[in-house]
Amino acid sequence: MKNPQALDQLVESLRCLPGVGPKSALRMAYHLLQRDRPGADRLANSIQNALQIVSHCQLCNNLSEQSICSLCSSDNRDTSLLCVVEMPTDLMMLEQTHSFQGLYFVLMGRLSPLDGIGPKEIHLEKLIRRAKDGTVREVILATNYTVEGEATAHYINELLSARGLRVSRIARGLPMGGEIENVDSGTLAQAIMERRSL
Amino acid sequence: MATLSHVFRQDNQQVFVLHTYPFKETSLVVELFSREHGRIAMVAKGARRPRSAMRGMLQSFQPLIGAWSGKLELKTLHSLEWGSGLLLLQGEALMCGFYLNELLLRLLPREDPHQALFDFYGQTLKTLSASFQHAPTLRRFELRLLQELGYAVPLVHDEQEDDIHPEKTYSYFAERGACSDHSGYANRNGVQLIGKTLQDMAQDDYSDPLTQLQSKQLMRMLLAYYLGDKPLHTRQLLIDLQQF
Repeated sequence: MKNPQALDQLVESLRCLPGVGPKSALRMAYHLLQRDRPGADRLANSIQNALQIVSHCQLCNNLSEQSICSLCSSDNRDTSLLCVVEMPTDLMMLEQTHSFQGLYFVLMGRLSPLDGIGPKEIHLEKLIRRAKDGTVREVILATNYTVEGEATAHYINELLSARGLRVSRIARGLPMGGEIENVDSGTLAQAIMERRSL
Repeated sequence: MATLSHVFRQDNQQVFVLHTYPFKETSLVVELFSREHGRIAMVAKGARRPRSAMRGMLQSFQPLIGAWSGKLELKTLHSLEWGSGLLLLQGEALMCGFYLNELLLRLLPREDPHQALFDFYGQTLKTLSASFQHAPTLRRFELRLLQELGYAVPLVHDEQEDDIHPEKTYSYFAERGACSDHSGYANRNGVQLIGKTLQDMAQDDYSDPLTQLQSKQLMRMLLAYYLGDKPLHTRQLLIDLQQF
């Protein structure tokens, strides 16, 4: 038996979601068409709507409904500090600390040489333009402490330092309330190597 | 049954992580380079969960001790521990490390043990983390990699089995070696170099700037020959970064 063409098309479209194979896509499609037609309608509308309204903030590159997001246009932020993070979730985490009053730039990824993700994919050109606006005094690199995050931080530092900007990197080491007995040896070794004088 | 599972289970293995890919919702597929078993792929179940014990450990360029099981191509990774000594690759050295890993991923066949190459890889990472002159280190690794994989890179004799003469100019071809300019291959596109470069490479001496330049051209041509058409991502990335 042959499926209706529109159903096949829906299944094919659902497969663009991460982790959704042909089987799951078919299950989702049947659910939407059989059990939850209003839900399907809402889903279709919200996708359409989001696609039209949401784009990248011109300043911080985060997803936003306005051309400049609310965070970037806020008056209460220190415009001389720019914090570079990999993903919007990293920005959220930093915001939850309430300890950073500056502005952000979201790369939407990291340099990953083995996956072919290069400087174009992480908007380095936009970052350079943003950092050189004249008011930014210090760029804080808050990319992950993974090998890819480190490589990303290194190259951003090279590019921005060459343009006369002050660049810093967030510190790493023992976690809050960390007991040396229970910390993993990699973190501990790094903490020893990158110790600071008192 | 107990003996069977014993056969398929490997404990206490020295490994390096070459690369990881996301797999399903919370897992990773890890490409490992192990001393006893060569390059192997395995699933690290739940390794992308926030509190996974393995999460922070699955980083490239660190000597690790791993345990896994499985008889199919894709094994299951059970545990990882820090191995001897932490390596801190930074900046340029980090990119060199990615380059080494890409070469290994592209050229090393699966489950083909290369113990000497494994030791040399560890040594190379150590050198990268401690020095600023990376070019000779990379040349040494490229040469050793090709030799360990069984590709001949003749450096002391030319194609006619004559000794290499330091002042003479040669054209070097993959699978053939150095051809003196008067032989029939001279007009095909081999790498032009002087005999001294080959002698220096044979003696592991990269102090001469001309040797550095010509050995780079030679290794690039040889690697391109064995890698085929697909270019190396790491090299492309460095080219792209130059444009800023």
